[in-house]
Amino acid sequence: MKLETRKIPESEPEMVEIRYHWITDEIQEIISFVKSRQGQLSTVRDGKRYEVPVMDLFYAESVDDRLFLYTAADSYEIRMKLYELEDLLKNKSFIRISKSMIVNLMKITSVRPALNGRFSAILKNGEEIIISRKYVPALKQILKGGEF
Amino acid sequence: MKRQKWKELLIHTLRLYTLLVTLITVLMIILGNLLDRGRVFSYDAFFSPLVYALIGTVATVITRSDQELSVRSLIIRKTISLLLIEGAVIFIALNADTIPTDKRWVVPALALGVFIVFVLSHIILYFIDKKEAEKLNADLSRYQEKQMNSSPINE
Repeated sequence: MKLETRKIPESEPEMVEIRYHWITDEIQEIISFVKSRQGQLSTVRDGKRYEVPVMDLFYAESVDDRLFLYTAADSYEIRMKLYELEDLLKNKSFIRISKSMIVNLMKITSVRPALNGRFSAILKNGEEIIISRKYVPALKQILKGGEF
Repeated sequence: MKRQKWKELLIHTLRLYTLLVTLITVLMIILGNLLDRGRVFSYDAFFSPLVYALIGTVATVITRSDQELSVRSLIIRKTISLLLIEGAVIFIALNADTIPTDKRWVVPALALGVFIVFVLSHIILYFIDKKEAEKLNADLSRYQEKQMNSSPINE
C-alpha cells in the first residue's frame, strides 16, 4: 500500500483520505485506528457496525481471543487486541486492572476490598469488576498523578 | 513495576508476620491459663510466638499466587494453607517438651487456636485493605475531579 503525506497550510483542515478497492481487514483496521484517535471506536454488535465514543466506554474485556467493549448498558465487539486498545487509550484514563481487562477510571464510583488482597471496582452502572492484586500498585501510582 | 511488586509483597509479609506474632502470643496466654496454668518457662519461651508466626507466614507466602484465582480456587488454596499450618504446629507441639500434649484437650485446643488465629488474621487484613480502599477512593475522586476540569474526553 502506498503511503503519501503532504504538508498543508494552517488555513486548510487536516484530513486523512483512504483510497481502497475493497474494505479489507487491513483497511478496516486503519479506519478504526483513525476513528479511535478522534475519540470513537469502530465496533460490531449483532452484525451491525457502531461507532462507540471513548467517553461512553466503561471497560473492555478480552474473552477467548475476542475483545468486547462495555458501555453503561450495551456490549460491542472490536477487532483489536487488548494490548493494542490499552495502548490506544492509555492517555484517556484507561488502565489495565487484570490480565483480561482495562477500565475507564472516570466510570468508577468506588473501590472496595475483595478476597485475598484484591479490590473490586464498583462502576457507575452498578456493575462490579475485580482489580487484580498485581495491578493495584500501578493503579495507586496513576491515581497519585503518575504516568500511564 | 517489578520493584513496586516486591515492595508490596515485603510489606504484606511483614504485616502478616507482626499480626501473627501478636495473635499467637494472645492465644498462648489464653490457652496456657486455661490448660496448663502452673507451668513455668525459661526465657526461651519468648521465641515460640516468633517461630509459630514464621511457620504461618511461610505457609501463607508459599501458597500465595499472582494468578487471578476464582473464589473456589482461592478457598481451596486457603484451606491448603491452613492445613499446612495446622500440620506444622501440631507436629512441633507433639515434639516439644514445653507443650503438655499428653493432656486430653491440649491438641484440639491448639488446632482450634490455630484456626481462630488464621480467621482473625484474615479479618484484620481485610480491615487493613478496607482502609487502603478508602485511600484509593479519595485519590480516585481527586483524579476524576482533575480530569473533568482538564479533559473534554471524559465527562
